[in-house]
Amino acid sequence: MLEIKNASKVFGEGETRILALDNISLAVDKGSFVSIIGPSGSGKSTLLNVIGGLDYLTSGQVILDGKRIDNMNENSLVDIRRGRIAYVFQQYHLIPSLTALENVMLPLLFSGVPVNTDKALDILKRVGLRKRAEHRPGQLSGGEQQRVAIARALVNNPMLVLADEPTGNMDQHTGCDILNLFEELNRDGLAIIMVTHNPAIAERSMKIISLCDGRIAN
Amino acid sequence: MNLYQILTRCLWRRKKRVLFAVFGVVIGTMTVVGIFTIARAGEDQMMEQLEKYGPNLTVIPAISNVDVNLGGLSLGTLSVGENYISETTIPVIRSIADGAIREKMGITEKGDIATIAPKLYINSEVDGIPVMMVGVDPEEESIVKSWWRVNEGEFITGDDQVLVGAVAAELLKIKSGERVKLNNTKEVRVAGVLEETGANDDYQIFIPLETLQSAFGKDGLISSIDVRALCNACPVVMIADSLNNRIPGVRAIAVKQVASAEMEMMGRINRFMVTLAGITLAVGLFGVGNTMLRSVNERIKDIGIMRAVGASRNQIMSVFIFEALVIGIMGGVFGYLAGTLLAYGLGPLIFGISVVKPILQYFPLSLGLAVAVAVTATLYPAFRAARVKVADSFRSL
Repeated sequence: MLEIKNASKVFGEGETRILALDNISLAVDKGSFVSIIGPSGSGKSTLLNVIGGLDYLTSGQVILDGKRIDNMNENSLVDIRRGRIAYVFQQYHLIPSLTALENVMLPLLFSGVPVNTDKALDILKRVGLRKRAEHRPGQLSGGEQQRVAIARALVNNPMLVLADEPTGNMDQHTGCDILNLFEELNRDGLAIIMVTHNPAIAERSMKIISLCDGRIAN
Repeated sequence: MNLYQILTRCLWRRKKRVLFAVFGVVIGTMTVVGIFTIARAGEDQMMEQLEKYGPNLTVIPAISNVDVNLGGLSLGTLSVGENYISETTIPVIRSIADGAIREKMGITEKGDIATIAPKLYINSEVDGIPVMMVGVDPEEESIVKSWWRVNEGEFITGDDQVLVGAVAAELLKIKSGERVKLNNTKEVRVAGVLEETGANDDYQIFIPLETLQSAFGKDGLISSIDVRALCNACPVVMIADSLNNRIPGVRAIAVKQVASAEMEMMGRINRFMVTLAGITLAVGLFGVGNTMLRSVNERIKDIGIMRAVGASRNQIMSVFIFEALVIGIMGGVFGYLAGTLLAYGLGPLIFGISVVKPILQYFPLSLGLAVAVAVTATLYPAFRAARVKVADSFRSL
């Protein structure tokens, strides 16, 4: 499903030049649950960004379902974000002035599909937050916010979810709940690539890729 | 449920921020609307006062001074001339005046243009009290003297009715409805008493021309003729010259164009105020631009979020343009109201303008201006923000 070939990413120039990704190649099968683990600064978030088209490679290729996405123009990338790939961030990134339900509906509004709130409510139910649909992010706990973010990621039926330190901002117990949810979703066929610095979390996935200094270790 | 419904809710929940931006727009439009409304009111007031100047031209009998010589000996100067003008000059005056105005203004409609008000002055007395009697064409005279108001009774409706000036009525102890004798021969009825004008009219009695002429045996004679054409660009001086050249025995005097000097002054004040308005608008634009820029920058993270969930760049722009439209419309409406109120307050206070009216045409202009300002100020920042790499949007600001 996803292939990365000789990906390199350079930040900055001259003295401030940083080689965040150094000639990385890997493959991810459909429906798998992969963790990318590594210390702070190892390039894992950069790798995730590049896989999802949120950032650009300096060289190399990212191939999704046989098509290169590293050289796609913005409009094509937008299409990808509308139903192929979805994101879950460490800081949740919900829109503060919208309710949970509205946040979940946001992707539907932008993709121009006729919106019915039932689908969004169903997904909120799936993540266990149906009752909090009308609450704003400020009124939700960290774990709840992340679950709303996950619901938002699911609403366009993506094939792949990219999660960047999804449990980084919560306590262990809540983090556990989130991982349970991920496992459930993965069992139902969703592919997940998760970035984490915590080996215990990484253990919950099927496959672990270690990054160090922009290169794959192992 | 569509995007714009959610956006509206979003705006409603961020009331304070939105109102702040609206405030910026209001400041700009309010000043522009206020200044222009005051300027218009000032002009209107000027025009009103212009009306009070009455005639543009007065035609009087030509009096010339002749040096008298007798066999080489100078005997001094003698004023020679008539005290009266013949009524037959009136049609000639009309044709010259109307003709000149038609030509200058390009008027093709038929009918009289200038108002021509003849007058016959006769010093007489009523019940032993000396009073000036003025024979007039009641309709024409009331057009020239547009400020005349009948205080008691009504205007002249018949040939045997007269109007009495305010002070004359007091002195002669006459009220409307009473009878007065002209030259001890002709009895007339007082139709009404005029309101005080503060001018000579207050001391005079106004009588239909023919009635006065026949009562005093001055048929066909008049003392002076007031000519009035209410147009700023009427060629008054030219008409005066024509009259002087083509009608013997009369002198035409153009009423000193104090009016034009004042109009020029008004024009200068107006230009100054418009410049002021322009500068304020520019400053306002800066303010609004700044607010919108900050608003966009503050929401770079939100923009990143929206793009991450599938918003295209155009959709991002639409979001901001929608918000700018709402802010612009609110700013335009409130700016118009505030500006008009400002004009109400400042007009009389600073410029001594007594009546300021809201000018409805400024409303769509104010709206358009406000929306244009708000949208323009948002466009560029939003455009730039939508082009930031999504990943960069999330880096802390």
